[in-house]
Amino acid sequence: MSQEVEETLKRIQSHKGVVGTIVVNNEGIPVKSTLDNTTTVQYAGLMNQLADKARSVVRDLDPSNDLTFLRVRSKKHEIMVAPDKDFILIVIQNPTD
Amino acid sequence: MNMGRILEDVIRKNSANTDRITAENTIGYVVAENSTGVVAESSFDNTSAQAIVKHMHGVLVAAAQSMVRDLDPPNKLCYMRVATRKFEYLIAPEEVFTITVLQ
Repeated sequence: MSQEVEETLKRIQSHKGVVGTIVVNNEGIPVKSTLDNTTTVQYAGLMNQLADKARSVVRDLDPSNDLTFLRVRSKKHEIMVAPDKDFILIVIQNPTD
Repeated sequence: MNMGRILEDVIRKNSANTDRITAENTIGYVVAENSTGVVAESSFDNTSAQAIVKHMHGVLVAAAQSMVRDLDPPNKLCYMRVATRKFEYLIAPEEVFTITVLQ
């Protein structure tokens, strides 16, 4: 299992333009990251909040629906969030690279 | 300024894109004014359109915008995709209007 996780993260990280990957557990604590501590904590906290909000918005609009993936494109970065039951995976990529 | 006129102008100028969005396998779309949240154009009934505007534009886009600015103040939100089990919301917050397409 952990071998698989390592390999997946390595595969994602080796993609062109990927700045960093963060895995956050359901308590909002980052458990794995390729970024420095400050950035990790900042991204983990904010993205966790946003994913929660996105999920509740999706459920508000249709209670039988559920969030599967979230992409936020800004002028400088693109942040992708894959929320799961126990963990959420955050990938930050720089599209101009 | 007449919002309806501005919007009609934009739609006319980008008719190719508008046709693609409205014709190709999309579930529907909502265009709403940012300042008032008034639905300007939509393929949904009024209730659904207003629900999308209220939740997506009012809550989620605002939260994403402040998140992006929290992380890096000179940065700006351009576009957002929210994938769900049933469909995907594509949200483009522009200067005057916010466009949401469901596919």
